[in-house]
Amino acid sequence: MAEYAHPDVLVSTEWVAGHLHDPTVRIVESDEDRALYVQGHVPGAVEIDWITDLQDALCRDYIDKAAFEKLCAERGISNDTTVVFYGDKSNWWACYAFWVFKLYGHKDCRIMNGGRKKWELDGRPWSSERVSYPRAHYTASEQDGSIRALRDEVLKHCKAGKQLLDVRSPEEYRGERMHMPDYPNEGACRGGHVPGAVNVPWPMNCNDDGTFKSVKELEKLYIKELKMKRRSPTIAYCRIGERSSLTWFVLTYLLGFGNVKNYDGSWLEWGNCVRVPIAKGPEPGPIAAVSA
Amino acid sequence: MPSVQERLDSVIAEFADLDGREKLQLLVDFAKGLPPLTAEYQARKAAEDRRVHECQTPVFLWMEADDDGKARLVAEVAPEAPTVKGFVAILAEAVAGRPLAEAAALGDDILERMGLADVLGMMRARGLHTITSRVRKGLLEHAASAPS
Repeated sequence: MAEYAHPDVLVSTEWVAGHLHDPTVRIVESDEDRALYVQGHVPGAVEIDWITDLQDALCRDYIDKAAFEKLCAERGISNDTTVVFYGDKSNWWACYAFWVFKLYGHKDCRIMNGGRKKWELDGRPWSSERVSYPRAHYTASEQDGSIRALRDEVLKHCKAGKQLLDVRSPEEYRGERMHMPDYPNEGACRGGHVPGAVNVPWPMNCNDDGTFKSVKELEKLYIKELKMKRRSPTIAYCRIGERSSLTWFVLTYLLGFGNVKNYDGSWLEWGNCVRVPIAKGPEPGPIAAVSA
Repeated sequence: MPSVQERLDSVIAEFADLDGREKLQLLVDFAKGLPPLTAEYQARKAAEDRRVHECQTPVFLWMEADDDGKARLVAEVAPEAPTVKGFVAILAEAVAGRPLAEAAALGDDILERMGLADVLGMMRARGLHTITSRVRKGLLEHAASAPS
């Protein structure tokens, strides 16, 4: 059976169960719903929350280098720790946390394939004990711009007609689903997608048990059907950058794409930008209309 | 019988002095208290469009009024969303059996007063505010159509 491009980055629940007391490994849970961790987590796992831990409260950005170093130190993570991420929702938030760790240059990051769902399906134990580790020392790198796309770069990328993936639902992509009464959370002024973006909803990467699809299935989708090229620069986005970090993970580590960026500003930024074009409907749309 | 506000005040007092993790634990405990749907509501769930589409996890809400104008909130929340489930359970307990007009006066500051807004972060807190306003709206509609 063909293997993923970087198989070491994906670990099974069995591997995690065998490393629960390994001092060189730190297991990290990241969820949509924080109460899940409190209710029960993989024994010994710490929680890193995508909002309250990873996002800066004042600027729409990630925590800065110093805050990241402090976060890691407090969770007992040092530069040489193997950090294994898992969570709910087929590992959306786990991939997001993984991506932020890569942003600050952490070397050994892994994903537990299948996340919470697979751990549960495999009948493995949950723990609700409070977890703490001795403070570690951590020195982060400067942010790695090679995996993060900001708005102006996306505009240039779009104008150049390069590979662009919208991983939201087809309704969001077509621009039908943006008026959500009582839900300021979805607050974008326009509904649609970045011109030229192809719609590959994130669930197409995953099986029902939360694990990733096989390399054969993923290659069929991205390489054969969509004719995407591994060496071409690629940007993925969604609404706030969480679902697209899962696609970023799939392209980079499972399929071996060489240059993939996550646009974390995503639709919540693009759909609100002044004088930035959008496309509506089921087609990627004309790139010629874009004037950057 | 304590009013909606008195019931909420007492829940808020339970949350007040807890740290973030304890607050989440208490939400999990409340979530366990949300009763499963009866057979009647199971059938209605299939037949009616009661899903809160704004929520990514499946949440179904029925804002009901008894013949004597008393409010009732019936809900089903997926087990993978204990925060939402716990919050809905708190709302359901607060409004149960109270006059519609009183129940429909649910405030928007419940999360803030419980000290949960900071624990959850703005985006999640907004999702829960959506649920409060849905419940309020549904109860208000009953109140408007009920004979006074």
